[in-house]
Amino acid sequence: MQCNYELFIRNGEKMTNINVNNELTEDDDKFVDLSKNTCPTREQRANGINVFFGKATELLEHAKTGDLKCTDRKFSQSGGCLLNFYLSVRIGTIRNAAVIFNGPVGCSTSALGYREVFGHIPVELGRPENYELKWVTTNLNSDDVVFGAKEKLREAILKTDARYSPEAIFILTTCVTGIIGEDIESVVREVQGDIKSILVPIHCEGVRSRIMQTGYDAFWHGVLKYLVQEPKEKQEDLVNVASMLSYTWQDRIEIKRLLGKIGLRVNFVPEFSTVEQFKQLGEAAVTAPICPTYTDYLSRSLKKEYDVPFFLYPSPIGIKNTDEWLRQIAKYTGKEEEVEILIEEEHKKWVPKLNEIREEFKKLGKLIAKDGKTIDVLGSLGQGRLVTQLPYFDELGIKSTAAMAQDFDTLLVEELEDVVNTIGDFDVMVNTFQAAEQTHIAKHENPDITLTCPFQGGAWKRDGGVTRIHAMRGDALPWSAQSGYSGAIAFGHFLLQSIQNISFQKTFAEKTTTGYKDWFLEQPDPLYYAEKGK
Amino acid sequence: MTENKTKKEPNVLTDEPGSPKIVEAPRYGCALSGAYEATVGLYGGIPLLHSGSGCGMSQLFGANYGGGQNAPGDYGGSSTPCSCLVEEHVIFGGEDKLRKLIDSTIQISTAEFFVVISGCVPSLIGDDVDNIVSEFKDKAPIIHVNAPGFKGNSFDGYELFFEALATQYLKPKRKRKRLVNILGIVPFQHIFWKGELRSIKELLAKVGIEANVLFGEFDTVEKIDKIPAAAYNIVLSPWVGHKTAKLLEEKFKTHFISFPGVPLGPIQTTKFLRKIAEIIDINQDKLNDLITSEERRVYRQLEFAGDILQFDVPNVYFGVVADSNTAVSVTRYLTDEVGQLPDIVIITDNPPEEFRKDIVEAITSTDEIAFTPDIIFENDSFLIKNLLQNRPFLNLYASSLESTYLDELGSTHVTISFPSFNRLVLGGNYAGYDGGLNLIESLFYDKAGPL
Repeated sequence: MQCNYELFIRNGEKMTNINVNNELTEDDDKFVDLSKNTCPTREQRANGINVFFGKATELLEHAKTGDLKCTDRKFSQSGGCLLNFYLSVRIGTIRNAAVIFNGPVGCSTSALGYREVFGHIPVELGRPENYELKWVTTNLNSDDVVFGAKEKLREAILKTDARYSPEAIFILTTCVTGIIGEDIESVVREVQGDIKSILVPIHCEGVRSRIMQTGYDAFWHGVLKYLVQEPKEKQEDLVNVASMLSYTWQDRIEIKRLLGKIGLRVNFVPEFSTVEQFKQLGEAAVTAPICPTYTDYLSRSLKKEYDVPFFLYPSPIGIKNTDEWLRQIAKYTGKEEEVEILIEEEHKKWVPKLNEIREEFKKLGKLIAKDGKTIDVLGSLGQGRLVTQLPYFDELGIKSTAAMAQDFDTLLVEELEDVVNTIGDFDVMVNTFQAAEQTHIAKHENPDITLTCPFQGGAWKRDGGVTRIHAMRGDALPWSAQSGYSGAIAFGHFLLQSIQNISFQKTFAEKTTTGYKDWFLEQPDPLYYAEKGK
Repeated sequence: MTENKTKKEPNVLTDEPGSPKIVEAPRYGCALSGAYEATVGLYGGIPLLHSGSGCGMSQLFGANYGGGQNAPGDYGGSSTPCSCLVEEHVIFGGEDKLRKLIDSTIQISTAEFFVVISGCVPSLIGDDVDNIVSEFKDKAPIIHVNAPGFKGNSFDGYELFFEALATQYLKPKRKRKRLVNILGIVPFQHIFWKGELRSIKELLAKVGIEANVLFGEFDTVEKIDKIPAAAYNIVLSPWVGHKTAKLLEEKFKTHFISFPGVPLGPIQTTKFLRKIAEIIDINQDKLNDLITSEERRVYRQLEFAGDILQFDVPNVYFGVVADSNTAVSVTRYLTDEVGQLPDIVIITDNPPEEFRKDIVEAITSTDEIAFTPDIIFENDSFLIKNLLQNRPFLNLYASSLESTYLDELGSTHVTISFPSFNRLVLGGNYAGYDGGLNLIESLFYDKAGPL
């Protein structure tokens, strides 16, 4: 056990040598222009791609030489758009605000869970007792498409303001308003003077970009342009943390606990936050990441506009990443001494627990791992998890011979390089919820555990370990935590549980169908239908 | 009840039919959504969306999770083949992208029936989708449903699916006297669709009638092929499926008969069977025997709930927030057989104006009470919340949206309508003779006693 502890310290030391990218280069800077109606796309801003399969070293090479290619697929699946993956599901949870979906009625059906996403979290765990969430649709119909829907939007804004008196109204655009050329900004300009609510148009037309992460940037652009206020005074103890649906209520509790111990407060945005919390983003001491690809645009903009420093790596996943995450925050808040005491205290409590998990994996590795030694996990989700999950698996004494990422761009190149240097080369598949490709790679890599989410179709039906990559934030149970020290332990147990009983997925692999024909699953190339070299 | 009771005109409030201007959280998706729900409801049906890349993902969170927290299966949700149109297609057209998608989907997919669904984008840019789909007619069973989201809601999409089927695929067949199709139940949108269809199929089988229910059944192509062979179409909705039934009548001379909902409990079920017996030749003795034995069985069984019903909720006021089908069946069952008092019935599926009078009539035509509940056509979740405040009801039958403010209402709650995020629905349902038992069981699930 002592030996394992030293491993973290060693790695921890190495971490401090990494050049953490918190300085803006000229290139990064030019993309944030709040005088524009919206952000550039990820393709324009960071050479983003959502199709790649090969070695991590190869991907890095492409990124460095500016050779990342975002090609089409002949066979593609509905992996989500700028609006309908994240924004539609979660922006309606912002309190004392309202959302207008400016589109046909279907663009907002995925928002129907709005009242329930955070509704069942116990008040004792910090959910406010009385809150109301609101979203409406403008219900665009055939006439609106032909004659324009400007009046309908104006009416919707006035009615929303009168009905709810919200502090802010987010206006989410859709493919239809984009294609018929609705001038949202002119309506906003005309109406804003007559109402109290601050209008925040978000350009998340699905057809804007192949990279749905552009939707995150579009949202932050609106927030920065219309909501964030000129700082009245700096709040030296305030830490901005932008976290998204894949991080749970428990993760919030853990982050609040850790930062609270060194006298810092957390400003969690955007989900379930208040409008006031957005207004003061520019007053914070630092913007810290949970998911770097999600936070990137916000972080860079707050730096550029209000000189709020930021860092993008690491996320607080695993022990040493959490150590380093806390140290980074401490650097910007003058808590360097306090943080070392905190880390030492926390290690005393959590590292022995992690070592127990490590021992368990070692035993199980001998019993069930394909190589008779080390449990192999196929995991990751966004590129953020790609660079944080693998070092964490290393801590647990398990490995990843392959990893997946929804997208990849030039924002996290150095970080990935460091991961490769630390744990060695591995296969990377970049795709945004392309279930066929994910089913293919799960079959061919045949890891001991595959981590899935509801966006991977039938990839879970297999004769081997399967568990979820993450919970949604509505899950307030301690076992769903992944962040910080308690999360490192909770998720370790989660992974251990996943290889104790595989009857569910094995039964379904035997008894039900699969969506893809054998020839596809048996041939070697998961990107069989990608139009290469375009 | 006495003959000379006075009935007041029901207090009916209505929302804006069609495409209302601004609505909070209406309980349905768009036309594309309805066509998707029908396709994924077929075992072996695969939707190919010619649309932006979010249109399948949104069905996962909306149609599938909202429809009883169901996984979408092999061919739906984020597994849905999609042409994922972006700006360059808006400018140069998406036809080539669609051609490649159909070709590759037929190559890779294990599905049996292919349904190309056009969303908003191709409609606006003018892709000739019919032409492209026709290139594949000899390669696989395939149809094209033109269902841009701005054309209507999920219920319209369901009708558009059948319209495409009837005009592009179905061939006239020799009629089979004892075969009927069941229409009016939209997969996922009517959250008990799987169980309701199975219950009706089994019920009719007992009187020698074969019900072609299509959804939730294997051998999909065979089931689709025999739609025109049915002697009758039975529509289990006061408005959904009526358009389809009329079209099938026109094209294949199949007459239809409609009911205001899926029969729930003994009275409605017996009435349903007797009505069917008027149009299809059923052995009367066999029918009478079935009715007698089923009624005897379920009433004796419900007697076990006699004490809890009488002592916990005697003549309780109840509220209903549901689609037309479900609202009518539930309200009438509790009123006609359980002695409960309907306080407010909110209809959330925004039925067209011409059907609303019949829906009101279906709810109010009971002989058991001398008053009428407030009947409100409303699809706006904010207004629905306001409408439910300060009312006498103690039990609410509604969607999971209403489950979030029970403390304010001081009511119990059973999820019976879309969206149902808080209730997983696999085969559970309230159809047929057992429907009443099942509903009462749901009412008291985990809150029955001790008395």
